[in-house]
Amino acid sequence: MYQNYIRKKEIAYLLFRKLWLIMRLTTIIILVTFMQVSASTFAQKVTLEYSNMSLKKIFKELKSQTGYNFLYTERQMSVAQPVNIKVKERMLSDVLVQIFKDQPLSYQLDNKTVVIRDRPQATTIPSSAPSAAGSDQETIKGRVTNERGEALANVSVRVKGNESAGTSTATDGSFTIRNLSPKATLIFSSVGYDQLSMELASMRAEDLAQLQVVMKSSNSQLEEVIVIGYGTTTRQRLVGAVDQIGAKTFQDRPVGNVTQALQGASPSLTIQQKSMDPNDNAMNINIRGISTVNSNAPLVVIDGIITEGGTLNKINPDDIETVSVLKDAGSTAIYGSRSANGVILVTTKRGRQNQKPSVNIGTQWGVQQPKILFSPVKGYENATLRNLALTNSGMDPQFSPEAIADLYAHQDIEQWNLPEIMKNSFQQKYNISVSGGGEKSSYLFSGGFYNQPSNFVGQDFAIKRYNLRTNLSTEIGRFKLTSILAYTRNNNLGNTAGSAIINASRLPSYYYYRMRADNGKYLVNNALTDQNPLAELNEGGYVKNDNDYFNINLNLEAKLLDGLKLRGIFGADIYADHRFIRRIQVPLYSDPNALQPQVYVNSDRNTEDFNEKASLLNFQLLLDYDKNFGSHHVSGLIGASNESYTRRQNELKMKFTDPVLGTPTTGTVIDPATARVTPNGTLQNSINSIFGRAGYDFESKYFAEFSFRYDGSSKFSKANRWGFFPSGSLGWRASDEQFMSWYKDHVGSLKIRSTYGVLGNQAVDDYSYYFTYESYPNSYGFNNKPVAAAGFNYASLDLRWEKTYNFNIGLDATFFRDKLTASFDYFKKRTVDILMAPQIPSTFGTSLKNQNLGEMNNEGWEINLTYHATTGAFRHQINANMGDSHNKIVAMPGDDRISTVDNITKLTRVGLPYNSYYGYKMAGLFQNISDIETSALPSGITAADLRPGDVKYVDRNNDGIIDARDRFVLGNGFPRFTFGLTYNLSYKDFDFSMFWQGVGKRDMMIRGELIEPFHQNYSYAIYQHQLDYWTPTNIDGQWPRLTANGSTASTNNFGKDSDLYLFNGKYARLKNLQIGYSLPKGVVSKLGLQRVRFFVNAQNLLTLSKNSWIDPESSEFDSNMGGSANSARNYPTLKYYGGGLNIQF
Amino acid sequence: MAAVHFTSCNKLDTLPTDRFTDENFWDYPENAEKMVNMAYNQLFSADRLWNDEALSDNIFEGRSNTDQRAIRNGTADPTLGRFGSEWSDLYGGIKTCHVYLENVDRVPGLDAALKQRRIAEVRFIRASLYFRLVNFYGDVPFFTKDITLEESKTIPRTPKATVMAFIHQELDECMTDLPSKDALPADDRGRITKGAASAFQARAYLYESNWNKVLEYCENLIKKQAEFGTYALFDSYPDLFTAAKEYNSEVILDYAYVPQLKTWNKLYDAAPISAQARLNGYAPLQSLVDNYITLDGNTIATDPNYSSDNPYVNRDPRMAATIVFHGGQWTDFDGTVRKIFIKPGSGGTDKERLDEYQGASANASPTGYYVKKYYDQTATVKYDAGLNIIMFRYADILLMYAEAKEALGQLDAAIWDMTIKPIRKRAGFEAAKALDFPTSGDLKTIVRNERRSELALEGLRYYDILRWKAGKTYLDGQVLGAKYGGNNSYIKLDIRRFDESRDYLWSVPRTQIDLNKNLLPNNQGYSN
Repeated sequence: MYQNYIRKKEIAYLLFRKLWLIMRLTTIIILVTFMQVSASTFAQKVTLEYSNMSLKKIFKELKSQTGYNFLYTERQMSVAQPVNIKVKERMLSDVLVQIFKDQPLSYQLDNKTVVIRDRPQATTIPSSAPSAAGSDQETIKGRVTNERGEALANVSVRVKGNESAGTSTATDGSFTIRNLSPKATLIFSSVGYDQLSMELASMRAEDLAQLQVVMKSSNSQLEEVIVIGYGTTTRQRLVGAVDQIGAKTFQDRPVGNVTQALQGASPSLTIQQKSMDPNDNAMNINIRGISTVNSNAPLVVIDGIITEGGTLNKINPDDIETVSVLKDAGSTAIYGSRSANGVILVTTKRGRQNQKPSVNIGTQWGVQQPKILFSPVKGYENATLRNLALTNSGMDPQFSPEAIADLYAHQDIEQWNLPEIMKNSFQQKYNISVSGGGEKSSYLFSGGFYNQPSNFVGQDFAIKRYNLRTNLSTEIGRFKLTSILAYTRNNNLGNTAGSAIINASRLPSYYYYRMRADNGKYLVNNALTDQNPLAELNEGGYVKNDNDYFNINLNLEAKLLDGLKLRGIFGADIYADHRFIRRIQVPLYSDPNALQPQVYVNSDRNTEDFNEKASLLNFQLLLDYDKNFGSHHVSGLIGASNESYTRRQNELKMKFTDPVLGTPTTGTVIDPATARVTPNGTLQNSINSIFGRAGYDFESKYFAEFSFRYDGSSKFSKANRWGFFPSGSLGWRASDEQFMSWYKDHVGSLKIRSTYGVLGNQAVDDYSYYFTYESYPNSYGFNNKPVAAAGFNYASLDLRWEKTYNFNIGLDATFFRDKLTASFDYFKKRTVDILMAPQIPSTFGTSLKNQNLGEMNNEGWEINLTYHATTGAFRHQINANMGDSHNKIVAMPGDDRISTVDNITKLTRVGLPYNSYYGYKMAGLFQNISDIETSALPSGITAADLRPGDVKYVDRNNDGIIDARDRFVLGNGFPRFTFGLTYNLSYKDFDFSMFWQGVGKRDMMIRGELIEPFHQNYSYAIYQHQLDYWTPTNIDGQWPRLTANGSTASTNNFGKDSDLYLFNGKYARLKNLQIGYSLPKGVVSKLGLQRVRFFVNAQNLLTLSKNSWIDPESSEFDSNMGGSANSARNYPTLKYYGGGLNIQF
Repeated sequence: MAAVHFTSCNKLDTLPTDRFTDENFWDYPENAEKMVNMAYNQLFSADRLWNDEALSDNIFEGRSNTDQRAIRNGTADPTLGRFGSEWSDLYGGIKTCHVYLENVDRVPGLDAALKQRRIAEVRFIRASLYFRLVNFYGDVPFFTKDITLEESKTIPRTPKATVMAFIHQELDECMTDLPSKDALPADDRGRITKGAASAFQARAYLYESNWNKVLEYCENLIKKQAEFGTYALFDSYPDLFTAAKEYNSEVILDYAYVPQLKTWNKLYDAAPISAQARLNGYAPLQSLVDNYITLDGNTIATDPNYSSDNPYVNRDPRMAATIVFHGGQWTDFDGTVRKIFIKPGSGGTDKERLDEYQGASANASPTGYYVKKYYDQTATVKYDAGLNIIMFRYADILLMYAEAKEALGQLDAAIWDMTIKPIRKRAGFEAAKALDFPTSGDLKTIVRNERRSELALEGLRYYDILRWKAGKTYLDGQVLGAKYGGNNSYIKLDIRRFDESRDYLWSVPRTQIDLNKNLLPNNQGYSN
């Protein structure tokens, strides 16, 4: 039996290998052969001669002539009028205008599909001036643009009551209609825009001379193209939980990267910017909360190619057309084993066919101001309080009255070190793009430059990003080739002073604690010793990254049969990273006149050189099917892919290099223990997949979809390698039912959708299923000669995929004639086989790698509202979104897992959210001796050690002693009720937008010197926000009385991981504010331009939070709720003020 | 087509390129050696030495609330980090030994004699790790073969006496397979020898107060040097702990560091700040200073010339070799000899003032003293020292011998003259009262104090106090620093607590009890 099983597996494996080979060859062959192929293209021109023919028949005929698909419902056909038409060699678009002129239906052209829909209500431009009578017969010229002033081609322009007089706009949006009655009404219609009618009689004469027509995007959005996994769909057909974020979110914002821009853009897309340091822009991306104890980071797909998460930030935000956030099983299962945390699909901009060349230039300049949120007390005050802390603990005071008087006398020359190492920085951003297209091809070229200098003083620390992108597509007969080539260079020049902020902030502002003397010498003092941050920033060297990223994306599409398409895709992400570190020694002097340096900053003079090359190759072969059979619409997709990742690294670290050059010199040491040669840093993995999707809908009213992926990964042993991840979806457009017609007419549309599926997560290290032995150089020595030692790593032989069962139910609705769009989703995820390191006794002697052990639930909801309104000349658009998730460990073997870092303890326990805060609860502060004597105290602490003003803890089990068993679950650090609010307003040539983002509920534990005055080991300071400590006259103080660290009372007060360290982390932040002005059309066109817009903007202008002294966004947590304790040693919050200019011609 | 160049895709069976797998690791004799080296690596460390010292009355950690400080202040509970980390580090080392012992037979082409010797080295290391375990925890899970995961979840504690019996037996057996130090080629210096095994036996019996056995194994080293290796007191006490004199005649076994490549840097946080140290994390205590006798051979209490206001003159020269006190000397990395100023207000320059006492929890020493012993003048910046840490040395053998003799009531002038006298002589004493067999005073106290002075800051003091059952005497009450406190008093630091019913043993780690209920009951005084 077992033998058979193995053999079957092997056969399957061989088959797959064959398949990959075939697939790769096919891809290549297609790519090669398309060059030679030049088959005849489908005709765009049509000839028709029918009278009283049914619309359906006409469609059939048009389809056979043009290859266009027609999408309609039987109900629509039943109301259609018979058609009389006689045209010869006319453009399809013109013919369609004619066919539909009397129909109660309208249509939209979407790529090669004509979507039939009910005709929306026509809007009428109200007359703004008394009518101006004209002559009998007029020639009207005009130009049609969208709301952004971009020219609209192929807009149908009809004359009400005179069907022969119609025309359509040229590529520049212009049109001319002759022989028009001055009382005529013009009707403009185009795909994706509301139909518009204009009464010429009500127009002013000067307007009539050159009619400016602005068409408004269709509000219903039903036909909006939504990018989904391996394809697109329309809003109407969408049954999964997908948010699509448009280009507007990314344009004209002074954000450093795509992730920053996505913050608050979609409900339950939680992004935490842990640090605002441009050189260390650590951010978490999370979709729908925590579902596993391993990485909860979503999968990132760029233009159809799965990539590394970090690549997202290598893209120029201005190059983005849309970002789709796929949240539920229905939409993500097609990404199978890596989809459990959701998927972010990025689609970059491309040119459009039949678009005349358009050039966009955008620039932005601004100032980033660092805001330090806390401040020290005056020097003499610090010294006085220091003495108080010492004497409170029975120790001798440190400062004599004379010393304090001296500090008092010198307070006017006091300087705090932290502001001295920060400065404002000037940020710049430039973008240019050229796009356009002919009948068969389109192109886009873009280039961008972004420069954000650091706010640290010293050298020119900054990040600089250079982007280039070309996006070309050509149709040759049945073939369409799309090629995307993109290049990104990231230059990151950072400092070596990793502790600059703590070292600058922890010193009191005593006037004699100076980092640099007036004569320029850097100083050392008894609190700073060899860690002078100013010296290190100014002269201590740098960490220089220059990272290249090259992206190739070739996509060849071939139409095989009616509705059947074959696509071959080759993608390559090529990374070449280089990091060079120089730590330059800087002398520090014990006093300004000392001749010999006392110590050096960076005394070991390290030079480090690191290189990494990585490539992620992607082959896909996809077969697409999409066809209508009457009211039935069937779509299908089947694909196969291989992704191969190879990474190679090498690294060299040298100590005691030449002080000037950083090169090896006498005494230079190379440590083999940290050196890496290519085999050390080599990583290879591979994943083979088969995936597919089958969809069916009836009358665009009932939808059903099934999708799956079958993944085989090199991260697992043969027996557990393959995983199957299916999902099913159902949708119902309830408002399209006959019995809902009243609702539809009076309220709006309503769709209900639901999906269920199994998703995977492969948060597994490579090679985990091998028992390995590693060599550690320089682990011991005999006779002062180093020797290597060997260590071992146990294998996790039985490793399998984590699986997430994912249920989603959602509702899409519109209200007030589509003015308000709303969607609501509820989800529930259950993850099983979660990879966790087993808790094993230390007596076993080593740790084990992750095994499939845990089980976790995660549920939540999200809501997204968009409201459009026009009041007079004001147009408003409001988008509000909010999401929440809540997780719970359902099962895990063994007991609670408790991890403590410094004073912050996290607990993982069945029934509780993952990594909950855990600790003691304060029962206030002791107010009198008898309370101390009768209360339970921490083990080892006696009543004699404490005084009123010290912390009293809750004796949870009433056993008279405070010990580990008295701990409570104190909260959880994962953000809940995350929200975003955008308000866009336009008035004539002005536009205004405002974007708020925030968190409705979050617990935040913070420890360290910003909580404990004179914090052990680091801080000699007390800050302003710590002054509300207990004293006999301030018995309601927030903080315990001042005590000296190391004293038993201090151990009692600050040594326990208690809710003393717990803070409310909710906040709302005005992330972005922008006011723009576009030059009037007349001025612009005189300049020969299309559009000129100026704007001013600001970022992080206002923050509402409970704690003034810490940025509420800072968090210790990474994507799996891990990370060290939050010590609030943050890079200051940055406020941005700037402006910019957009020019289009 | 560019695409063709990228068409190689990875297979699903990818092998690591930078490490061995279980399939091939043991095919190479070099790899077996590497596993032995790992056992050596896990034998001991500078961290362990200094942290053990911080458990004693020699050192005060003023900078932060370390685990050692919590133990000493009586506030440790079973969740204390060090209770858990010692346990897991030591069993980790034991695992390495077992993995070696159980796989070494797989290695082809291994020289039989070498293999036998290596096995003895590894068994010594295993015994040493168990010894440390029982000293901390008393009864511990005990096994001599690699255990399965299942066994590790149920294994109960074995009485300390059984483990000790095993250690003694192992060492006796290893002794025959180990070479004498004299037979070691130079490149093997630092390997475990017959002499080391005998020294370990002596120490193990010492901790059991099995005096006759202590004498037996000390005598191996004192009287049977032809067999056990030639050892002698090294000429200079200060030079004993220098890189230049590594592997000197007195060293029986040391834990190896290699200049620049395998280093330790505890003195970065213990040396005077003016000497490019960062801060003071390990400060010697007044109690240690007071232990040193005067050059005249008197204790400070009995010496008529002693003044607590001028306490550092006329004292045991080992004090200056071990501790930096006000007015003491320091030799900088560049060889400059400087006077150190610790008394507040005494420094003449900003640099000198860096070392001044400024109160508790400053960068400068909280006790008014800095560490000198084990200062490696050849260390690179930040005190990265390649200096070996001595685990067993000949003076210790002599002191153990003297102590055992005293305990047996046999410490006479002859024994004194072959043990303590040469040690004091080497230390630099000249006065007859210091060198000759004492005619007054309590011999036991004299021997114990001698041990403390000679072996201070070498990681042994804590164990001595425990085996003397003298916790209440040495590890209880207020800790004092130099006489820079208010009103010319001694600096008052922590109030330590020693619970006689509890603190001779550590708690079994809380996490381990949770994972294996058979470890219960916990040691007395700790919650289960």
